Amino acid sequence: MSMVMERSLKYLDERLGTSSLARKTLRKVFPDHWSFLLGEIALFALVVLIFTGTFLTFFYTPSVKEVIYDGSYAPLRGAEVSAAYDSVLRLSFEVRAGLLMRQVHHWAALVFVASIVVHLCRIFFTGAFRRPRELNWLIGIGLLFLALGEGFTGYSLPDDLLSGIGLRIFYSVTLAIPVIGTWVTYLLFGGEFPAGDIISRLFVFHIMLIPALLLALVGAHLAILVLQKHTQFPGHGKTERNVVGKRLWPEQTFKSVSLLLFVTAVLALLGGLAQINPVWQYGPFVAYNVTSPAQPDWYIGFLDGALRLGPPWDLNLFGFTISEVFWPAVLFPGIAFGILTLWPWIERRFTKDRAEHHLLDRPRDTPIRTGIGAAGLMVFFIMFLEGGNDIFGVLLNVTVETITRILQWALVIAPILTFLVTYWMCKSLSRSRLRPARINAGVRLSRTHDGGYETVSLEPAASDGGDRAPAGAGSHSE
Amino acid sequence: MTAGDQQGSERVAENRELTGDQRKAERSAAIALAVTVVAGIGLFVVYFAGGQTQIEGVLFAIALGGLGVALGIWANRLLDAREVVEERHELSSGAAGRQALGDALAEEVGPVMGRRSLLLKLLAGAGGALGLALLLPVLSLGPAPGRSLKVTSWTRGRRVVDENGKLVTLDTVPEDGFLTVFPEGHEGAADAQTLLIHVRKGSLRLPPDRLAAVPDGTHVAYSKICTHAGCPVGLYRAESQSLICPCHQSQFDVSDGARPFFGPAARPLPQLPLGVDEQGVLVAQGDFYEPVGPAFWDRNRGN
Amino acid sequence: MRRTAILIGGIAVLALALTPATGTATTRGAARAAAQQQPADSPALEARGRELYQNACASCHGPDPSGPSYYPRVPSLAEVGGAAAVDWVLRTGRMPWKDNKGPAIERGEPRFNDQDTRALVAYIGRAVGDAQVPQVDPAQGDLQRGRQLYGQACAACHGMNGAGAALGGQNIAVSLQNVHPQDVAEAIKIGPGQMPVGGGLTDYEFGTASSTQEVNDIARYVESLRTSPYNRGGAPIGGKGPVPEGFVAWVIGLGALILAARWIAGRG
Repeated sequence: MSMVMERSLKYLDERLGTSSLARKTLRKVFPDHWSFLLGEIALFALVVLIFTGTFLTFFYTPSVKEVIYDGSYAPLRGAEVSAAYDSVLRLSFEVRAGLLMRQVHHWAALVFVASIVVHLCRIFFTGAFRRPRELNWLIGIGLLFLALGEGFTGYSLPDDLLSGIGLRIFYSVTLAIPVIGTWVTYLLFGGEFPAGDIISRLFVFHIMLIPALLLALVGAHLAILVLQKHTQFPGHGKTERNVVGKRLWPEQTFKSVSLLLFVTAVLALLGGLAQINPVWQYGPFVAYNVTSPAQPDWYIGFLDGALRLGPPWDLNLFGFTISEVFWPAVLFPGIAFGILTLWPWIERRFTKDRAEHHLLDRPRDTPIRTGIGAAGLMVFFIMFLEGGNDIFGVLLNVTVETITRILQWALVIAPILTFLVTYWMCKSLSRSRLRPARINAGVRLSRTHDGGYETVSLEPAASDGGDRAPAGAGSHSE
Repeated sequence: MTAGDQQGSERVAENRELTGDQRKAERSAAIALAVTVVAGIGLFVVYFAGGQTQIEGVLFAIALGGLGVALGIWANRLLDAREVVEERHELSSGAAGRQALGDALAEEVGPVMGRRSLLLKLLAGAGGALGLALLLPVLSLGPAPGRSLKVTSWTRGRRVVDENGKLVTLDTVPEDGFLTVFPEGHEGAADAQTLLIHVRKGSLRLPPDRLAAVPDGTHVAYSKICTHAGCPVGLYRAESQSLICPCHQSQFDVSDGARPFFGPAARPLPQLPLGVDEQGVLVAQGDFYEPVGPAFWDRNRGN
Repeated sequence: MRRTAILIGGIAVLALALTPATGTATTRGAARAAAQQQPADSPALEARGRELYQNACASCHGPDPSGPSYYPRVPSLAEVGGAAAVDWVLRTGRMPWKDNKGPAIERGEPRFNDQDTRALVAYIGRAVGDAQVPQVDPAQGDLQRGRQLYGQACAACHGMNGAGAALGGQNIAVSLQNVHPQDVAEAIKIGPGQMPVGGGLTDYEFGTASSTQEVNDIARYVESLRTSPYNRGGAPIGGKGPVPEGFVAWVIGLGALILAARWIAGRG
């Protein structure tokens, strides 16, 4: 160890007591499966979002005050646009690396939500939400909602035509809330659409309120993870009472940093090579103009699709109106996300399983849960498809009406079919014993109480492939 | 020998024990890092030469990716690949621990509070009242909806203009054409945006009172705000005389009072009654027949 | 060593493939349009036109262009917009009718050469009493005003960036990212198919100075979509907005990262 390093560590240790804490932490063990890195992808996408977002904040003006555009995008020169829109164009064309930062930020947002969803699927399908991790599941769902809100507020900030249309729809959806809808909407927006205040308010949500909540919840999410220790797949030598994997230092640190670099690299590549949200082409938001096709960012796409599918039924009860928008945009998400949020307790009601679980299920071993999860994903997938029905129509040479009719039927039939097919696939995979859980032969170290290690040599498992968990591991089988 | 020297010589000894595999890995990692350095220098060049988005993105990707590859190789092939077992500890302190906490809490607070239930009730009341009062500033965020969702700036006698303020007559829009119009003095008003459509003669199927509000039987006006979720319904299909909204594909039959015949919209686009004044300019005969735009709770109450 | 070289080579190829392609001028359309600016028609031209009409068009449109057609769904040429309509459908290869795919008529390879096209335009134009073909000059158009007019009148169906969209049923608003200014002028005059006559412009009247200027303005903007599309951000991925963007984010973005995660996790 070099002199500098020695002296720095001594400095910190004398003031903060870091040495013993660090020693304990650095030896912590984390299991080593690729699917455990999905949450990290989301975390690192968030890091990219924060860094690029901070840069963007220095250039963005959260105001709808009209200015005359005078920049390098010729078709708009002389046009009256909002200061917000003008600042985004200036950032894109007049600020060096501005467009790169903006595009990296937007791609990072798309990948952020995508990785959260994939991570959520991993948690769901392996049963990692079971006791004692229900709280972390709730925090995770909260993070998903915050991410959706952050994305929506973010892409509405440039005040361009496309996102402005999206804001109008959001306005209509909040209007559709029974009883309090008009009040909530007027409070949120500051009046009748397009109330000018909304851009600066979205700005407050986007750079302050939601990020604060995001960071707090991410912190709690990670703290709980460290406290409870990570789950692991069943395998040789792995029990409910231990964690088998690699140490935080050096292996996992190197791997995590490597993943962070890959996340930034992929986002930088996309940000440079693939154009995203070219707001100058859409033009500034004008309340009586519209452009086609008109879709939101992908993670709101399921709501757009639900609205397109939604039956045209408005209700009149004693003179009061429930808008047809209520079913797809308020009721459906409420039920779907309600089930998602409460899933650990819903499942427990049926399995009656109140035990602690640190060993994960393989999805094939829990065919009902896996089937229901797949059916749920299919529902959302159908909504996504419908959200792009005009684009797919042109691509596949099918009319919009045909696609809508097919998907309306599919919404009823496909989830059931998906459940049955998935259930059958799980069962036959279980029976065929394909791809048994891997064994690691070699040397294994075991931590002693005082933080040191003792060597335990690993005998290769029996020749049947070793996919049976050790006794008492508590994995579910149907 | 100092500790530093000792560790140094241990490190030298380690180096001599690299296997062939590790030597290859080290070489790959070294190349990856060299690529990162080159890309980093490239970024300096590109930036000071004026910047170019695509090249910047690629160079950043290469620089970051190179470092990522190097660290990944290091993690997987240059470190001692040891699997470690760590025991889990019981998180719960057990019944005894929880009892101890319960006792500690009760000890300080219990005897005092138990006999002061009035105090407790008032405490709850105070908390409630204060909590609600603290929420009052939220109401300053916006006005009360009032009737504003049910009226627009169209009034009886208001002249029809296009978005630049030009007056609209029966000659402005050719047959099979359409135009976005506004009340004079309120050009661009979001709630008053209206579609003026010159339909083919005799093609409108409206009840007599509504037809009377269509000048020449051909110039019909509907609200441009979709009754589903509020998008401007700007797509007019002249041949079939129907409108389609780009947001959720609701389709409205212009010949039939803008009745929705496909898609999620449940209500027709409200019609604006029109007339013609002495100068031949189109004028409104009143506000729309119904509140424009998407439905809300009290849409049909107290009109 | 080799893998690194392949990787770098692959990135270079990827970079080249995704770099925004500049539009290629439609020289054929330009030549045709230039041909249309030439004045008048000789009797020989009209005679040739009549001959072509009888061979290629009369079987559907009837023996006389100004009279009724043979089929209820086929419009009489008297009510489609005159010479401008004929010029437009022939130059863009929409006519003669190619196959029965539904009411939407698709672009294609033009069947007639310049001379024959002019002949048909002259003949049919005179027969239906509307022989005027629009003269358009984008260079005279104001780009900024054109963008504004386009946003008012055209963007709802064709998209602000001209990418085009589905209009329900078999109807498509075509992409305008690679059309000739002559197409723009003619389409606004005709209002082909579901497109409104006058294209949604205020006070459109063919031949007036103000309308001609407005058409020039819009043509200038539409031309800019082809000649300087402003795809500074990189590959436009179709220009259809968030749907293809989401696709790329999942398949390329998350896909690459999952592969990276698998590589990093190693043999774990």
